[in-house]
Amino acid sequence: MAVLDAVREVSPLGDLELSPMTTETPEEPTTNPTGETPVETAGDVRALFEEQALQYMDQLYAAAMRMTKNPSDAADLVQETFVKAYTAFGQFQQGTNLKAWLYRIQTNTFINNYRKNQRNPYQGTIDDLEDWQLGNAQSVTQSTSTRSAEVEAIDHLPDSAVKDALQSIPEDFRLAVYFADVEGFSYQEIADIMKTPVGTVMSRLHRGRRLLRGLLAEYASGRGIATTPAAGRAK
Amino acid sequence: MTDCGCDKAKAELEEYIHHELTKGEAEDIAEHMANCDDCTGEHLVGLTLTNKVKSACNEKAPLELRAEVLAKLRTIETTATR
Repeated sequence: MAVLDAVREVSPLGDLELSPMTTETPEEPTTNPTGETPVETAGDVRALFEEQALQYMDQLYAAAMRMTKNPSDAADLVQETFVKAYTAFGQFQQGTNLKAWLYRIQTNTFINNYRKNQRNPYQGTIDDLEDWQLGNAQSVTQSTSTRSAEVEAIDHLPDSAVKDALQSIPEDFRLAVYFADVEGFSYQEIADIMKTPVGTVMSRLHRGRRLLRGLLAEYASGRGIATTPAAGRAK
Repeated sequence: MTDCGCDKAKAELEEYIHHELTKGEAEDIAEHMANCDDCTGEHLVGLTLTNKVKSACNEKAPLELRAEVLAKLRTIETTATR
């Protein structure tokens, strides 16, 4: 009488947060050829969880740093994520993407528990803002030489500058960038994690990256790292 | 400006970088870039941005967090699985 199977019977609609990822095809539980039911003790479940889930702690922590912006809240968020995930582990379908499932729980926990504590006047409407309202709209006309200077400049920026820039862009954009660029999740997986249509994911990712690019260029030219377009033309 | 493929390539560059295009679409972009410095440059900036963000976000969880999580899991074990 598999504990995992028993919990799987529960309607996923009861708790959307923990419902299966839509991108994955559920696997049938393996049946024992002899017809005997495999015994799963509480210890087995914990061992399985520790073996499969705990390896993502560093990644979840780095993501939590992007979410909460401070080490203490990040640690709390990660701990809460693992507790929730463990409690709901029976609903996780083996063979599907565990990392994405964990991220989904963490993102949801963050939104419910932490986001409401933060003052963000744009929350909920950020996707509706025009680019000019976001500031930092970047000129699209650039010469080839300026681009190679830009590549060079981005390459030489300190990590702290990149993290600062990430922290300063709107949260939904920041998370979309993080999920795509750091974790390499597909658009569909990000849509599942952020509970938003794929089109919105694309928009958040594009706008987030454009803002980031503008901020990094600004930072670089402020530090004299990059040749600005003006400097490129001079001579 | 006549359509030299730049508009299409630039519009799909983000999806190209994030491996969200079909094989055929991706091949079109690659083919276009082979003859277009402008789009090649944009592509390179995009890739550089991705790699930079990825390498910058490399925090490791504090060691004590791992111990705390393990301890916590042991306390909820009985209620979680009956």
